[in-house]
Amino acid sequence: MDESILIRRTANGDATALEPLMLAHQDAVFRLAYLLLGDPDDAEDIAQETFLRAWKYFKRFDATRPLRPWLLSITSNLASNKRRSAGRYVSALMRAFQNEPASDTVEEKNVQRTESNALWKAVQTLSLANQQIVYLRYFLDLSVSETAEVLNIAEGTVKSRLSRALDQLRKVIKQDFPVLSEGLE
Amino acid sequence: MTDMEFENQLRAIASGMEYPRTPDISGSVMPRLRLSTQPRFFSRKLAWSLTIVLIIISSLAFIPPVRAAIIEFIQIGVVRIFPRSVEPTPEAIRTATPQATPPLIAIPDSSLIPLLKNIAGETTLIDAMETVPYSILLPAHPSDLGQPDYVFVQNADGYMTFLVWMDPKQSDKVKMSLHIIPSESWAISKFGPKVIEETQVNGQKAIWAVGPYPLKLSNGDIDVTRLIQGNVLIWAEGNITYRLETDLSLDEAIKVAESLEPVP
Repeated sequence: MDESILIRRTANGDATALEPLMLAHQDAVFRLAYLLLGDPDDAEDIAQETFLRAWKYFKRFDATRPLRPWLLSITSNLASNKRRSAGRYVSALMRAFQNEPASDTVEEKNVQRTESNALWKAVQTLSLANQQIVYLRYFLDLSVSETAEVLNIAEGTVKSRLSRALDQLRKVIKQDFPVLSEGLE
Repeated sequence: MTDMEFENQLRAIASGMEYPRTPDISGSVMPRLRLSTQPRFFSRKLAWSLTIVLIIISSLAFIPPVRAAIIEFIQIGVVRIFPRSVEPTPEAIRTATPQATPPLIAIPDSSLIPLLKNIAGETTLIDAMETVPYSILLPAHPSDLGQPDYVFVQNADGYMTFLVWMDPKQSDKVKMSLHIIPSESWAISKFGPKVIEETQVNGQKAIWAVGPYPLKLSNGDIDVTRLIQGNVLIWAEGNITYRLETDLSLDEAIKVAESLEPVP
């Protein structure tokens, strides 16, 4: 069924219409929460909360706009708030990546997975705002306009912020992530 | 490696990311929805207020000059501005070029703190961020601005956030305030600002209003209190309308507006 019809039905209080919308978008919502929080249980909580909030505010959602950026905007906001209230967790994440040596055995088994994890850890060293924009553009593959919708900023701002984030990321990779720097230099 | 090659490589590596299997989110959410009450289709408060607004507009529309004024308003996001002149002259709305700011009429300092204390919904920035369903962005310009001194969240059929920065040199004077208004909120109307200039924020249409003027929200339950009688920059980004009150110049106000970024 057309997504806009499901959105209108949900906005009118039909909970059964929300279910297919959740099934269509729960992967992206869960993954963004996981990228931002690094913990699957926390990510699940945030994903559930995202859809409960969306349900609460659906009647105010403009059905002509794409749904995914709006959902990811709620997810990003909730996950960011949770991170702020869990500073210790972020510190632990940072320590984990600093102490963990690159594993040759894992690399042999699955180079791509090692590189992806290394990239994730490299992105985690950026500011929260820069992390969000990198996750949305490269991990979730959102377009510039969708990213702008999620972050409530202009497309020009997305491009300039992305450029700064990538500059920082290049430096971090060059300095701390040799496993990535070969492929990205 | 060019920027584009770097981006393509990033995307290729990121596509190999292994995520935990997505849990059954919908299976967990649906029972919680069934327990919750059904959302209201149309609040009684909204119905009554709309009726009153329609009656007033209908009766005013019989008066020709008022009818013209009703038609000729400027809208940025949820904010409607009714120019002072019923039939706007070419000067009434013009494209702005940064220029010196006219002198402002300051609210007497002694009245300000009681004013702030009378605004409903005072909260903390952290609590506000947990309450509202959108990202609260803060200005990074000027660099020494820091976080707001006062934060208010008011439910105007949509959570409106109101941030206030005090002047560090005069603790009872407001330096700047910022309303963050989601699209579902009640419309704010301004009547007859002395100067209205069309300008741009992040390449989008924005309005710079100068001069004292009546201000009201169409829902009488909520007050939009003016803390600086003078300049207001209004712009919209996506679903959010921003209203910046400041005694800065237009040039500086635009820099503030374009510097908004998520809370670090």
